[in-house]
Formats: sequence, C-alpha cells, structure tokens
Amino acid sequence: MPGPHSAPSAGELIRLGFSDLSRTRGLLNEPAVSELFESADIVAFADAADPDIALLGLSNIVAQDEAKPLVDALSQDAQSLQRLLTVLGVSNAMAEYLTRHPTRWLSISPDLEPDAPQRYRALLLQSVGADPQARAPVAAGSAEEQLADLRIAYRQELLQIVNDDINHGVSVERTAQTLALLADAVLEAALAIARHSVGPEAQDCRFSVIALGKCGALELNYISDVDVVFVVESDSEDDTAAIRVGTKLATALMRACMASTPEGTIWEVDPALRPEGKSGALVRTLQSYIGYYERWAETWEFQAQLKARAAAGDLELGQRYVETMQAFVWGAAGRENFVEDVQAMRRRVERSISGKKADRELKLAPGGLRDVEFSVQLLQLVHGRHDEKLRTAPTFAALRELANQGYIGLQDADELASAYDFLRTLEHRVQVYKLKRTHTLPSDDTNLRRIARSMGMRIDPVAELEKQWRNHARDARRLHEKLFYRPLLNAVARLGAGEAKLSPAAAGQRLLALGFTDPDSALRHLEALTSGISRRAAIQRTLLPVMLEWFSRSPDPDAALLNFRKVSEELGLTPWYLRLLRDQSAVAERLADLLGSSQYATGLLMHDPQAVGILADTYELEPRSRMSLEAEALTIVDRHDSPTTAVSAVRGLRRRELFRISAANVLRLADAEEVAQGLSDVASATLAGALHASVKSVTGQYEEDRGVRFLVVAMGRLGGAELGYSSDADVLFVYEPTGVLSDSESAQQAQKIASEIRRLLTLPGPDPILEVDTSLRPEGRNGPIVRSLDSYRAYYEKWASGWEAQALLRAVPACGDHQMARAFTEMIDPLRYPEGGITHDHLIEIRRLKARMESERLPRGVDPRSHVKMGPGGLSDVEWTAQLLQLQHGYNIPGLRTAPTFPALRAARDADLIAGEDAEMLMEAWLFATRIRNANMLVTGRADDVFPGRTKRLAGVAHLLGYDEGESQVLVEDYRKAARHARAVVDRVFYGFE
Amino acid sequence: MDKQTEFVLRTIEERDIRFIRLWFTDVLGTLKSVAVAPAELEGAFDEGIGFDGSAIEGLTRVSEADMIVKPDPATFQILPWRGESRGTARMFCDILAPDGTPAYADPRNVLKRALSRAADMGFTFYTHPEIEFFLLKSEHNPGDQPEPIDRYGYFDNAPHGIAHDFRRSTITMLESMGISVEFSHHEAAPGQQEIDLRYADALTTADNIMTFRLVVKEMAIEHGVVASFMPKPFSEHAGSGMHTHVSLFEGDRNAFYEAGAEYQMSKVGRSFIAGLLKYAPEFTAVTNQWVNSYKRLTGGGEAPAWACWGHNNRSALIRIPMYKPHKGGSTRVEIRSLDPACNPYLAYAVVLSAGLQGIEDGLELTMGAEDDVWSLTEAERRAMGMQPLPHSLGHALDEMAGSELVADALGEHVFDFFLRNKSAEWEDYRAQVTQFELDKYLPIL
Repeated sequence: MPGPHSAPSAGELIRLGFSDLSRTRGLLNEPAVSELFESADIVAFADAADPDIALLGLSNIVAQDEAKPLVDALSQDAQSLQRLLTVLGVSNAMAEYLTRHPTRWLSISPDLEPDAPQRYRALLLQSVGADPQARAPVAAGSAEEQLADLRIAYRQELLQIVNDDINHGVSVERTAQTLALLADAVLEAALAIARHSVGPEAQDCRFSVIALGKCGALELNYISDVDVVFVVESDSEDDTAAIRVGTKLATALMRACMASTPEGTIWEVDPALRPEGKSGALVRTLQSYIGYYERWAETWEFQAQLKARAAAGDLELGQRYVETMQAFVWGAAGRENFVEDVQAMRRRVERSISGKKADRELKLAPGGLRDVEFSVQLLQLVHGRHDEKLRTAPTFAALRELANQGYIGLQDADELASAYDFLRTLEHRVQVYKLKRTHTLPSDDTNLRRIARSMGMRIDPVAELEKQWRNHARDARRLHEKLFYRPLLNAVARLGAGEAKLSPAAAGQRLLALGFTDPDSALRHLEALTSGISRRAAIQRTLLPVMLEWFSRSPDPDAALLNFRKVSEELGLTPWYLRLLRDQSAVAERLADLLGSSQYATGLLMHDPQAVGILADTYELEPRSRMSLEAEALTIVDRHDSPTTAVSAVRGLRRRELFRISAANVLRLADAEEVAQGLSDVASATLAGALHASVKSVTGQYEEDRGVRFLVVAMGRLGGAELGYSSDADVLFVYEPTGVLSDSESAQQAQKIASEIRRLLTLPGPDPILEVDTSLRPEGRNGPIVRSLDSYRAYYEKWASGWEAQALLRAVPACGDHQMARAFTEMIDPLRYPEGGITHDHLIEIRRLKARMESERLPRGVDPRSHVKMGPGGLSDVEWTAQLLQLQHGYNIPGLRTAPTFPALRAARDADLIAGEDAEMLMEAWLFATRIRNANMLVTGRADDVFPGRTKRLAGVAHLLGYDEGESQVLVEDYRKAARHARAVVDRVFYGFE
Repeated sequence: MDKQTEFVLRTIEERDIRFIRLWFTDVLGTLKSVAVAPAELEGAFDEGIGFDGSAIEGLTRVSEADMIVKPDPATFQILPWRGESRGTARMFCDILAPDGTPAYADPRNVLKRALSRAADMGFTFYTHPEIEFFLLKSEHNPGDQPEPIDRYGYFDNAPHGIAHDFRRSTITMLESMGISVEFSHHEAAPGQQEIDLRYADALTTADNIMTFRLVVKEMAIEHGVVASFMPKPFSEHAGSGMHTHVSLFEGDRNAFYEAGAEYQMSKVGRSFIAGLLKYAPEFTAVTNQWVNSYKRLTGGGEAPAWACWGHNNRSALIRIPMYKPHKGGSTRVEIRSLDPACNPYLAYAVVLSAGLQGIEDGLELTMGAEDDVWSLTEAERRAMGMQPLPHSLGHALDEMAGSELVADALGEHVFDFFLRNKSAEWEDYRAQVTQFELDKYLPIL
C-alpha cells in the first residue's frame, strides 16, 4: 500500500516489535527515513527480528549521500524494503557494510539462486583483477585496492547468503555448505593476490590449498577459523625452490585474508593442523606429507584428514593429496593399535568437552556441537573402514548414512539431527549479528529476543527459545548413549520392520573400540539380559545403553557387564531393583562404577544383593558411627539365645558395613582416613558383639553370677583406628576376678570367654571372618592369651621390653569393663611415656630392631620398594618414626599421647620435634601407601601389601586412585617419589643420619 | 602396516637375511640382543617379543619379569660384517610392559621422555659426539699392563699404521650402516683414536653410539688388536672422553643462536648452559658412571673438574665453540665431561633435562672462565663461583641421591636401580688394595 502515511501510533509500533518508542519516533523523523516512509509502509518492519536495530541500521544507510538511488528504489519496492529490514534486524555487521556501500543492496537477487556458489570463484577473482580462465590467476592493481576489493566482493556474497538464510529460510546445512564454497573462492582470490605480490616466480610452483575442519567438511559457520594445509609441487625436479616460493605464497595468502583494512578483515586462516603443528614447515610437497604420515602421525591427525578437501589453487594436486589421505585414513592394511588409538580418541573427546560446563556454551558443552561432531567422526572411523558409504565428510550427511546403514537408530538419528540443526542455527544467528566468532548463547533479553524472533518465535520469544534449547540440550546430552550404546542392543534384538540392524561383526568392532576385550561374551550377556517380552527385559532395554556407557568408563568393562548380569539375575524378580536403577540414574551409575572397578565390593554385594539399596542415598554411603554400630551389635546379641546365631548376625551386620565403606571408597565418597576410621569402628563393634555373646554363653545371663569382669584392649592398627580391609584385629584380653569364684576358676572362665570370642568370629559361614590376633600379649606366643590386670601389672613392671612399650603406644580399650579400662590405661602410661623419654640404649635398640626387620620381615623375592608396608618410605617407616617421637617426648607433650599416626605427627610438628615439611612428606607417603593397600584389596578381593605389578590390576588400582586411563605408570612414579622423600625423612628423624 | 615395516620385511626377503638381532640397552649401557628368525618378525612388529626381563640389569622388578621388546623399523640395518649373502640385520627396540605401555626402566624410553618434554617446550635436541678410545695390542688378562698399539700423538699421520687402516675401514663400515662420520684422527695419547659422528637428533645419536661401540670392537678384532672405551686406562696419558656438542632447535631455527649477542648465544642458550652448570655435580654420576671415570676427570689437562664455562676454553666443563660467521644454524654448546663408557641414552637425558630446567627457571649465566681452570688457585675458583665436579664415584652418587632433577629425568625406577648398582660397585672398589698402595707403602711401612 504505497502512499503517504500518518505517523504510526504507539500500538502499531509495539505490534511491529519496537521496544524503544521515543528513539523510534526520532529516527523515523530523520529526513532521509521520513522521506522513504512517505511512500513506504511501516509494516515493512513486520519480519524484522529486532525492529529497533533494523531501523537504526536503515537510518544510517539512507543518511549517506550516495544512498539516493537506494531510497528511490526502496520507495518503489515494498518487498525489497521488507527483505532489507529483515536482514538489518538480525545483523549489525550487514548494516555497517551497507552504510559504506548503500547501493550494493540493489544488486542482491530477490530470488533464491541455488547455483550461485558456482559463480563465486569467477566473481572473487575478477574482483581482484585476476583472470578466472588463467591456469594460475594473478591479481592486478595496487595491493591496497586488491585487499579492499576482495573484502567488498566477499561481503556482497555474504550479504546474499544472509538474505537467503533469513528471508528464504534456507536450511542450516545448505547455508553452511554455501559459506564453505564462498571460503574456497576467497582462498582462490587471496592466492591470486599472493601470486601478484610474490612475482613471476610464483608461476613455477604448483600450489594447492587443502581445506580441513569445518570448511573441508563443507559445513562452515558464518565466522570461523578456516583450517588449511598447503601442498606444493615443482614442475621441475627442484622441490627446494617450490617450497621456498610456496612458503612465500602461503604467507601472503594468509595475510590477504587476515589483514585489517578500512573494509575490515575476512577471517583467520589457521594452518595449525599441518604436520608438527606450529613448529612444522608451513608448506610441504606431497611426498613430504606422505613421509610424515607414514612415520610419525598420530591417529587424531588422521581424524583431521577425514575432512580434507581440495579448496583452491591447483585442484589436481589437491585431489591427489586428498586421495592419498583417504588411503591413510581408511587404509585396508590399517594401522597398528587402531583400537587403542580409537579408545584414546574417545577419551580425548570426553576430556575436551567435560569440565567445560559453561552454562551457555553451544560448542564445548556435553552434547554441544563439538561433542556431536567428534562422536559422529568416531563412529565413522570405527565402521568406515569396513563400510565405504560412511566415508562422507559433513556431519549431517554422515548422521543420515549411519542411520541408513543401521549403525544408529533411525529415530535417534532424527532427534540428533534436529538437535544439531537447532544448535547450529542458534550459533549462526549469534554470529551473524556482529560477525564475531563466538559460541556462547547471550544471556540478556535483547539479544535473546532478536535470536528467538529470527527463528520464528513470536510469542514470549525469550522463554520459548530457552525452553526449546533446554529440550534439545537434554536430548543431545544422551548423545553417547544413543550413538554408541543403544545400537548394540539392536544387534541382539528383534527390530521392527524397516529398521536396519547392527551386524554382530560391527557390534564387535564397536565394543572393542569402547574398551571391551571380549565382544562375543559381552553380546551374549546383552542378549541374556534383554531377550524376551517380560517387563524385566523391557526395563533392561532402556537401562542398558546408559549402563554400558558407564561400564565402558570403568577399568574392566567386561567384568562390569558380567557382574551386572549376575546381580540382575539374582535380583531380577525383586520388584524394587530394576525400578530403582531405572528411576534413579545416580544409583545405576554408582553400581556400574562399582561392578567394573572392585571385585571386593562386588563380592560382598553378591552375598547380599539387597545392599544395592545403599547406593541410592549419599547419606547411606557415609560410614556409620561406632556408637550406633555397637548399639546395634549389642541389640542383635540380646535378641538371640544362641551365641552362634547371635554372632553370625553380627557378622552379617559387619558385611553390610564393609560393603557400605568399600562402596563409598570406590565411589570416592570417603577418603583414606575415613575408610580407616570406618573399618576400625566396624571391627570394634563386631568385637563388642562377640564379647557380649561370649560372656553370656560362658557365665550365663545374670551379672551377679559372673566370676570375672572382662576387657578387650585394641592394639596395633585397630588401636590406632587405622584398619585396612584385610587387617587382623590386634587385641589384648584382660580380666579381673569378681570374687564369686576361686582364682583358678576365674582364670578358667576368662580363658573360656577369650576362646569363645575367637571361635565365634572365625566360624565358617557366608560372611567374612574377623581374625583376632593376640600376639602382642606379654611373652608373645608363649604367654597365656588372657591375663588378669594384676598379672599384666606384675609382668610389665618386671619384664617389659622396648618393643612392648612401643606396642602399648597404640593400646586403646575397645570394649568391656569401663573401670578396668581406666586402670589398664593408668597402668601402661608410665611405660609408654617414660619420664624424660626413653633411654639412649632403648633408642639404639629400637633402631636396630627396625633395621633388622627391614631385611628379615619382607617376603622372599619381593622388591622392597614395591612393598608398601615394610618397604622404604612405606607404612612401617612412617609409623615407627611417629612412635619413636612419642616414646621420646610423650611424657611432656600431651598431644603425643595418642594412638593414631597423624595426630601424633601433627603434635610433633607443633612442638617443633619435626619440621613441618618433613611431617607432610611422611603423611603423604603414609596416605599413599594406605590407599594402594586398600585399592589392592578392592580391585582383586585379595589382600596384598605389594605394589601391583600385573598391569591389569595396576590399571584398576590407578583408576581407584583417580588416575586417568593409561596413566598407571605415572602412579608408580608418583608413589616411588613419595616413598623416596619419606625415606629420606626417616633416615634423618628416625635413624639420626645426617 | 606402514611403509617402513613393509620395507623391512621386503629387504629381509630380498637380501636373504637369516637372523635379525633385536637390540636394546640395559640401564648400565650394555647392548643386549635377542635374535629372531625372519618368520617371527612380523609378529614382533605387531605385538613385540616376550622375554624374561629379570635377567637384564635394572630392567624389571622381580614381580613383573615378563617384558616385551618391540623393534623400531626405522632403525633397520643390515650388519655388514657378518658376511654378504647369509646376512644378519639389526633393529633397536623399545621395551614395553605386558600391557603395551613403555617400560619406565628402558633407557631408550628415559631419553624419549626427556625429548618429549623438550618437544612440549617446542624444542628438538641435537647432539654430535666426539668419541675417543684406545687401540691396544692384546686382550686384557688380570694383572696385565695394557699396551697401546703405537707411540704416535695428536693428529700424527702414521704411515701404514694399523691405526690408519683401522680408522679407514671402521669409517667405511659405519657409513655403510648409515652412520655419518664427520671427522677422525689420532688423538694425543699413544694408541688413542677419535672419531666424530655427524650431528643428529639425540635418540638417533644414542642409537648410533651403541652401534659405534660394537663396530669399533668388531673392526679392532678384524685388525688383530683390541679397542677399549675405558675412560682412563693409563695413569700417565690423557683419558678418553666423549665431548658432545648439543643444540636446541625450534622448528628449523637454532634456538641457541641470536645475531649480535655475545658469542651469538641467545637467552635460551645461556639459560641452557646455566642449567648444565647448576646441575652438573648432580648428574655427573650418570655421565661418568664408572670408578675409573673419575681418574680421567681429576687427571688435569683437557678434562674438566669444575662446573664452569668458557669460550674456546678446553679446561672448562662447557665450551662455546668459535662462532663461524653466517652459520647461525651451527651455534652449539660443547659439554666435555661425558666419557664414551656412559649409557648414552641416560647421559643425554640428564644433560637435556638440566638444560631445559635452566631455561624453565630462566637461570642467568655467570661470568665465563677464560683461563686454564687447572692453573687457578682454589680460592680464585671459589671466588668465581665454580662448583667442583665430584672427585669420585662415591661422591658423585651422594650428589645424585639428593637430586630431584636426576630422579625426574631418569624416573624413580632407573634412579633407584642406578644408585644401588653403582653404590655396590663403589663399595667393591673401596675394598681393593691398589698397586699404588703396595708400591708406596710396602717399602716404608
């Protein structure tokens, strides 16, 4: 409706989407703008995503002197005006371009021209004065003009692409492809400029630009680094000259693209994917590339070559490069270690995206663009060696092909393609605004509103955009599950008609790439778990893809899957089990981790599958307090008449707690100190239960009948609350006659109680036994296992030797009679904290004893350095050092009178008995050794104080200690370093060497 | 299978190779060899060959005796002295743990780790060794005095001498094995020879030194004499060193070179030298690993006994050779303590690590020494801040035991084994009553 219009009302402006009305009115009243809208209709703003910036852009453009023809044309052409405003409404950068060159809008084609890209090369070459027909076109004119003209020509085509994108709704896939083709033409024109600057010798050098990355894959962004490598060839034999000239050409070409001019810059050309990266030669001959890739290249470098495409320059030479690389990537003979390399690549993918959870990252977030692209490439590499159809470069096309051939599900592929499409569209709209290389979704409403409206969201656009984005992100976050794992189930399942199926061979290749070493067994387990039409199988089918993903991250995926099958078969009919795993993914993830990394915890679980429930709640995974455990143990004993069934129930309690602690340990919810404390508390509570049951059975129900009062004193690691999974409980048994019985009868009764405790705790049964060790008692193995308090007193006063005083440092009453406990402690204090410290002779004796033990106590044939308990810098080194300081200074430094090692070391440090740094090194080595000892047990289910040598076990231990896959050797190095440092401290502080 | 591997298999077929020796090196630098038949080789390339590592010095802990050697096809070489038609070839191997990861105890791996640290900093490490050794008349029997093959001296051109023929045929042999020789001549002491290898990256050089030592011994036997790399066989003559010129490259550019700087030596180069000087006392046990090595170091003359540097000063530990105009690429540093009986992999690893540490810490280079260091007084040397190098193996081991740098460079396993093994050697030596003591004390005490 051309014709004069009255000033629009506020309501009209608001409906059109303007937000700053007073500024809008001001701009509309500017002479050039108001002249235009005398004939044009303001509804031309209707499609502008942000009418405010569209108007601002328009006002800048028409205010230019040379804009007159544009204003005239727009006044006559409402559709052209509308399209212009739509473009200006998304892109500030395009407004700036048109402000410099207003009439250029008139050259924009109103219709979609699908064959436009074919003209790019000629257009851009002509823009710099080069002849497109020439074999090696050379630019003409001044260098400055060339750069400016190239930029103008580039922006003009870019403007057309933005116009087609925003006004014609061209697909992202197509836009990205067109952008890549435009980039090719820019490289070609830049090469012409380079030839001009290098001079005649440029003609002697065949020069080809290979595009890699997104440009190579024909899926470029609006603004992005263009990844390239350069290949040269000489017509004569002399490669040296070709390389010299080629290097000049490449440098000039990059400068032509990147130089800043009044017409701006184009984009960065990045040659960093070349052999040896930034330190490598900029150009090479094809032979030289071949030489490099044959001998030195890493698999990830081949991954980059997957996208290689001859983009500019000598296309015949470029094509030979591409074909050579294709042969490398898909080479039939294959490279050695392909599977390991692919696994390493998968870790690289996961590392490159994890941790960067920057909230609004479109590219690097899990499920973001990089994740989709890398994951698709990984599948291409795994399966493309056997299936040529997969060897296509662009992500969209690869995704379609993977689905068509059954490597991923059709529906999953559709969902992923639409999520990828959405993310790419967002990225394009974010970038086109200022042509800035950014991958972050803005968080302010103005920007979000523009982007949302440009994607057609008109009602509550900001909220709508956030909602759609979250939905797609949620889909994409389950990307690995969908791409890698779910199809594996298809391999063993019956599928609906039309759905292609992953062949067993392909499934095997994929399982290998995912870290399973025995694909056949894995497939059998999958089949057993998912076949059938039961509800159980149906739930497993939804559960397993994600479980498989977690299994594959554990050190032993094969064991994890087998163990999962076992637990599931045990519990499959229990209604809550599968529901728990399905509804609480945290439980399932924990279970997967546990099953794949700990035989010990898995073993405990097999005896009591119900304990899976503990994994549901982080609170449940905290070790229970000693008080509540003891109370529970005593209640259990009171509930049973038979001591045997009572203690067997207490041992069941212990097994459940061992599972709780080991699970928390494996899941890194409990550190080494908490584990030691927890294990000690469980052992103490178990002892308390056994004592209670034994007293009841030996002396009867009634307290007044009892001939003895009884005390169990914890010694060694138990006393220090530093128990490991495999430690025995070191104890002393003490009694005191009550006077009811004769002395000898009392002694007999005490003897019976002690024997009963040991018997009950080691009776064969389903639950782990607790070995009670009394060898620290007076006279060692020759002495009676139980003595009266008076007898201890008499012995210690008369006979106590150095090692006994030292052992008593860790004596702590564990359970039994409280008064006796106090008396016992008072009795031993003067012994273990002798006034003035131990004598010099005693000091020498301890040092000699330790020195002798170092050579005698080690098992034959074991390298002492790998023995974490007795070896140099091991547990015993650290503990003896702490204990020596206690014996020497405990009498006047109260902080030293403590059983555990760390508080003693800290007290010694605070009292300046040991340097702070030395104390740190001792504690670090001790913790390290303790972790390895615990991890040994957790991984294999068998106790071992020797550093693992078998590499699979070592890998498991490294995983539990938080090392990345493939870093086992780093663990060995780290431990030996810590131990060496600690040993140096021991040499000084314990042995007194200077 | 890559092209190089194919090349190796094809060559073995075409040249009728009957045995392939797989070479690797133990921690002390002794060359070890496992022979395999051609049929086993393809498997060896894929999976390596298992062997019992516990028999090899310093290689494994007892608990993991099974080790794997995996040949590096790039090092394939036919051994020329085993006859033409039924040939023997060799390849150097990497030692792997059973899971396929590199063994930390493999000296080749120790050097590779140091090189990869350099690569992370953007550097390639090149070395160029000048290897000295003695030619003796006969095999040594306990109690014998060694007898050199001639009485000539420095650069003497002995007409028709065995030494002359020997050098010519040795060089021909080395060249036929792809090892380029830069230079060779008669050295100062009777019977002493020097052959300089062309510069190459440090791993190749270390492999070449291992080959070189074997070739020299083999060729000596062919000429009816005996070659020895013992650092100091004669009290009265100079010992044998292995001066090594080293340089770092960033891509194609020599990182030691800076036009216009003093001696054209860049900041990187100066810090590298400062690192060498700072850590020299700690790493000397590795570069000079035998009791006898210290007889050479403390013997005066051209052997360095203090950690100092000089420009063209032949008594300093570090020498910056005369700069040749327009040869920016040749700027380099000569380190003069190494002897030819070291383990070249470990020696180059510690030297490189010390230099890199100097660069990383931005160490400043102190004043150079332009005088003969031996002629300075103790007080002068102390005033100039020169640290003495260890004067005995025992002393060197004490210095090394406290060195984090050497522990990091060698890895804990090799570090620990080396200290234990060498301490035992030192103890054995200390228990000996020497000829010196007998001659000096028996008459008077």
